[in-house]
Parts: sequence; C-alpha cells; structure tokens
Amino acid sequence: MKTFEEKWTAWLDGQLTGKELIEFEASLPDKAAAKLEKRDAKKLGALLKRELGTHVIANEEFFSHQLRERIARENVEPFREQAAEVPTWWTVRRLFWTGTASLALFFVFAVFVMREKNPAEQSQYLSQILNARVDPVVSPNATVSMFEAKGDRVTVLWTEGLQSLPADYAAK
Amino acid sequence: MQTEATLAQADVSEMDLVKRCQAGDPEAFDELVTRYRTRIFGMIYNMVHNEQDAWDLAQDSFVKAWKSIKRFRGRSSFYTWIYRIVMNVTIDWLRKKQVKGVGAEFDDAIQAKQIDPASKTAPKAGALPYEIMERSETRTRIDNAIAQLSPDHRAVILMKEIEEMQYHEIAETLGCSIGMVMSRLFYARKKLQNLLRDVYENI
Repeated sequence: MKTFEEKWTAWLDGQLTGKELIEFEASLPDKAAAKLEKRDAKKLGALLKRELGTHVIANEEFFSHQLRERIARENVEPFREQAAEVPTWWTVRRLFWTGTASLALFFVFAVFVMREKNPAEQSQYLSQILNARVDPVVSPNATVSMFEAKGDRVTVLWTEGLQSLPADYAAK
Repeated sequence: MQTEATLAQADVSEMDLVKRCQAGDPEAFDELVTRYRTRIFGMIYNMVHNEQDAWDLAQDSFVKAWKSIKRFRGRSSFYTWIYRIVMNVTIDWLRKKQVKGVGAEFDDAIQAKQIDPASKTAPKAGALPYEIMERSETRTRIDNAIAQLSPDHRAVILMKEIEEMQYHEIAETLGCSIGMVMSRLFYARKKLQNLLRDVYENI
C-alpha cells in the first residue's frame, strides 16, 4: 500500500498509470493546485539540471594520475583483499575440524585409556591372587585378605600362613 | 543514464573492463575511471560544494572501488555499483562534518568574496559580466538550498534530477526501499520548491 507521498512523487514523475492514476487524481481535493505544483516541480528539476549538471573536474588527467600513484603507493590490489579473505575462511574451517578431531580423541582416550586406569577396578594380578584356591595341604593355615582405599588408589594384599605363591597364579 | 564513453571506448564493454580489473589489470581500471570520473566528481561536488573535498572524496571512492572490485558480481550496472560506494563515502563524510559542525561556507561564496573588483583579468568566455554574476548568484542560492537538506535527501534529489536515475536504481545505490526513495523525493522537492520558487519562476 503506497503512502500519499509515494503516490504524489510517482504522479509528478509520470509513473502512475491506469487505475492507480485515475484513483489518485480523483482523490486530489484541488486538482488545479496540484497541476500547478506539478509544473513547479518540473521547473525545479530543469533548474537543478541546468545549474548543477555542468560542473566539470578541473584537471581530469591529473586526477587519474594521482589515483594511479595512490593505488601504486598503497600497494592495494584487488587480489590482496581476496587473498586476505581466503585464509580467514580456511581458519574457520580448520578450527571446526580441529575441534571435532580433538573431541573424538578425547572420547577415545576417556573410554579406552581412562577406564583402564580406573582405581575402582581391580588389577588382573589381584584378581588372580584372590581367586586362587590356596592348597590346604601345602598351606593349611593360609589366609588371603585385601584392603582397598579407593580414594588413595591403594590396595594392600595381606597374606598369612602361605608357604609359597603357586607359580600358576604368579603375576605375568 | 548517460555515459561519457567515446566511440573508441564503447568498443570495450564495461563488463570486459570489470573482468580485467578483477584479474588485477590496473589499466582496465584506469579506463573505467576515465569514463566516470567527471560524473562522479560532479555528483560529489553537488553534495559537498567544495572542489578540494569533492576531489579527495572521489579519489577515496575510486580506491575503495578498486579494492573491492572482486566483489562486484554484475547484478547491477558498474555505474550503479560504484555510485553506491560514492554515496556511502560522501554521506558518511557529510554526517561526520555535520557532527563536527565544520564549515558552512561554500567555494562559490568564498570565491565571490575573493574577487578583486579592480582585477584586470577578464573572463575569456562569451558571457557578459552581469550574466556571469547572475549565474553565480543562482548557483549560490541553489547550493545554499541543497545544503539545508539532509545528506540522504540531497543524494536522492541529485540522483533523480541530475543523473536521471530510476527509483529502483536510487534505492539500490542507497540501500533502501523504493518507497523510502519516493518519500525522500517528496520532502526534498517540497523544501527546494519553497526555497527556490523565485529562482525557477524567473527562468
């Protein structure tokens, strides 16, 4: 929906046509005054064109010469701008891939390495000892106990009455 | 819109020159500068009313155009594209100047004061002295009237009346809607009609 100002401007410039023109002209309260103003606007345009349209640059060749020198002095090339843009784009891309790769590595480390070092888990060596059945013939009074302080990552294996550690259950 | 291109220049199309510029050919850019420098300088002069400022702003605009020519995709004409740069540079400059409140006197006014009445130098042109003086007064009146418009209104009225640009071209140049262009034209014309009525009535 055009405002009055837009319709008026279009009407002055002869840009209103058809139904829009008929409706606009019908809506004007004083058509004669409007036509007078249209004539004024045309005169203003002609005045501006006549007076302002003739200004020439004083020394055209010197203007171009100065511009060439400035471009050369500042060493500005359209390439440089382009070249400057490319690394910026690559940096963002690289940042993304580096971040993704780092996250993946972290998860691999967390799942496979950290889990191995979890102090809550018993070592293979301790499991072997604890699961060992102490031969009552060789060591009738043998007892094996384990004390574990998870917070300090300390496990103490306490054996009593054991003549010897069975070779099959020794740590490998 | 008109172009300054001579018949020889017209042999090389504008897009060819732009493509050569984009490939880093400064001679092609020089050719484009030659085609448009007068119009661009004239437009800036009508906005700022000072030869030296217009010169500097035109230089700045062309340097900016050279720096960013790679971004020109040919969706509009080269002239509309460079005009956008020119208008941004000039309107920014005018706004900064308005904020600083620098200079309200135009070249023409200064020159009129500096003319020595006893000067022996006679103008070579055929116009009679009173015609020259009358013309100068008219020009000063117009410049003063335009100076009362905001930078945006100035740009719109000059592009429409001097450059005879279409609404959509002005909108594209200024980065605003066509409705905004028409609205600004409405108010700019009203103001200039009030200020210059006696001038154009006597033409």
